[in-house]
Amino acid sequence: MEALDIPAAGREADVTVRRPWTASASETRAGLLFVAPYLAVFCLLLVYPLLSGIWLSLHKADLFGGSRFVGAENYVRLLHDDIFRQAVWNTCNFVILTVPALTVAGLALALALNTSSRWSAVLRGLFFSSSVLSVTIVTLVWRMVLIPDGGLVANLLALLHLPAIPFLSDARLALPAVAITTIWWCIGLPMMLFLAALQQVPKDLYEAAALDNAGWWRTLRRITLPSIRRTALVVVVIEVILQFQLFGQAQIMTLGGPNNASLPIVLFIYQIGFQRWDIGYAAAASEILFCIILVAAMAQFLASRGREDG
Amino acid sequence: MRRILALFALVATVLAAGCQRESSGPVELTLQRFFGACDAEYGGSVDVSAAEGECGIITTLVNRFNAQNRDIHVKVNVVYWPGYDQLSAELAAGDPPDLVTMHQSVISDYSQRGLIAPLDAGLRSVGVDPAGFTPAARAGVMRGGRVYALPFDNWAMLWHVNLNLFRTAGLVRDGKPLMPHNPEELLAQARQFTHATGKPYLIQSMVNEPSAYARNLFTFLLQQDAGFFADPRHIKLQTPQAHRILQLFKQLYDEGLTTKNQDYTAATAAFLNGQGGVYLVGTWMIGAFDQAARQPGSPLAGGYAVVPYPQLYPARDATYADGHSWVVPTAQRSPQKTRAIFRLLRFLKDNDFAWSRTGHLPAYSAVIASARWRALPHRGDIAKLVDTAAPLAPGVQRQFLIQQIISEEMESAITGQKPIDTALADAERRVNDVLFNLL
Repeated sequence: MEALDIPAAGREADVTVRRPWTASASETRAGLLFVAPYLAVFCLLLVYPLLSGIWLSLHKADLFGGSRFVGAENYVRLLHDDIFRQAVWNTCNFVILTVPALTVAGLALALALNTSSRWSAVLRGLFFSSSVLSVTIVTLVWRMVLIPDGGLVANLLALLHLPAIPFLSDARLALPAVAITTIWWCIGLPMMLFLAALQQVPKDLYEAAALDNAGWWRTLRRITLPSIRRTALVVVVIEVILQFQLFGQAQIMTLGGPNNASLPIVLFIYQIGFQRWDIGYAAAASEILFCIILVAAMAQFLASRGREDG
Repeated sequence: MRRILALFALVATVLAAGCQRESSGPVELTLQRFFGACDAEYGGSVDVSAAEGECGIITTLVNRFNAQNRDIHVKVNVVYWPGYDQLSAELAAGDPPDLVTMHQSVISDYSQRGLIAPLDAGLRSVGVDPAGFTPAARAGVMRGGRVYALPFDNWAMLWHVNLNLFRTAGLVRDGKPLMPHNPEELLAQARQFTHATGKPYLIQSMVNEPSAYARNLFTFLLQQDAGFFADPRHIKLQTPQAHRILQLFKQLYDEGLTTKNQDYTAATAAFLNGQGGVYLVGTWMIGAFDQAARQPGSPLAGGYAVVPYPQLYPARDATYADGHSWVVPTAQRSPQKTRAIFRLLRFLKDNDFAWSRTGHLPAYSAVIASARWRALPHRGDIAKLVDTAAPLAPGVQRQFLIQQIISEEMESAITGQKPIDTALADAERRVNDVLFNLL
């Protein structure tokens, strides 16, 4: 290929290195003033409560005052607390049940509805509509579906002369029942995020693939999925963080039972803090939950970055 | 700068005007209660005698008080049952309501921390004498010789009986249901009932139920004089007496003599639809079931009876009981507001008969002794609760949480998820851990 003849001036212009930006004192002050409101609110609402929570977790403290420093005693108690260990297991299990399902189902729905027809617009609204409902409504609806005494599933099974399934009172089924409810409730956000990402994929890539006679599966693997991988990461990280905070569904549908089979960490924290008034212990459990979420989200992030670097 | 000063002046003027208006108007009291919300039906009603059910009667009572006392306005805040998590949060935030419904079993939690005010002097000032409380109500609201609440009622779990099905099973004599006198008789009657009717003998709310199992356990432990709370900081559940009770309920479950997998709503509907013989639920359902029994065509039509828990063990005739009461959270209040609170308490005391139409036992001896209370349906059948109702010792704190823990573990044992002895050991350990870690 013939080299382009670039004028000398142009070459000079290209190699000119811009001086690093240096701010004057007044510019620095203006910059700090500019970010000060955000920093103040950030420190007040996030940094201070975080540090305060850590400090509280090192105390034997009551909801109505009175506390003494006990060091790591609350953490040691938690490690020996069977109910807390079960809550941690339940929560991780719940995340495993819901996050992959939400990601895959969200992507599948987005792929199916990524068209400009009127029906797809209606269906997008329909699938997203569950997300705007409150947890109370969602759990009421699903209790009516799942209860073995006159629930929708029980009635359908009765038509087939099959016995009702005790979704909410069987220790093996309670957590999956809460997970199904949650997937139905939360599917809207991943779907919308994936839809937004799909609409950013350049059309000419698909046209090129079509010209190369690439099939649907090949186009999905080679063009669509690589193009939306950052969104997929965002969806997974958001959902991991959200689902680790399971509370309302378990509180209303099962009260964490039976036999603590569906007790999540946040419900455990709530019970310890507000029913036992033992807020030092509850704060310690909260810090452990914070660490679990942080590790899980960072692991996702780092694993994804590693693949990109590779 | 001038603009900012002007803005401050404007805001200050508006606030001052607002304060002035408030002080010249009626005294506003915030009343926080459970018992549900029914404003659509009773929001404008002041006819207490026409109201039905807990929600209807309490809503109408407050409406009536507001109508009769124009210088006071009671603002009602309805909380999800039982509402103590919300109350605790409000107290911790320093923003409590003026008057709150509280179970008598919960009073110790708050009184020992000085979170609710003793009411002796205030009640005396409006002519309410604690000597008029029933013994059960007095024991329920007094702590350390001081009155911490105005009692509203006492309640207990009862055996609500479908007499029509009992007749089919041959378990009615002289128009009264036959009650078992020991666990063996209970099992025999339950089998007889199920054999004759094809339906379970017991209807129980078992799903999402934080306290029913524990109340059954307490009742039958009391009947065995088991002394399971000899010390308010330690429970003892790894005993033959507790094992016997769990074994009995497990056997009823295993043999299909009880309903399974029903929550409160489903269990209530099952009883109303005639799907079982005995529904284990509290005094508050008497009115609703009696009403159903008056409806022609209802499965309960002409066939509803209600009795206290049968005495299955010989040591003592006792039923675990609790009660509803009104407490005043500790806060700075004006004398005007304090006087208004006690006028409202006096009004509630004066209307205890109206409240007792819910089915709960009145908290005042004079009401129980009155002919009009005795004339209410089924009250004669449950009147012996006045003597047999037995709460836990008042020093036992966190009773609601304790009930929840015990119920969880009992459910595990009865439904076969844990051996009985393991469940009892776990319940004992968990409850004692709660009590050991109280500050």
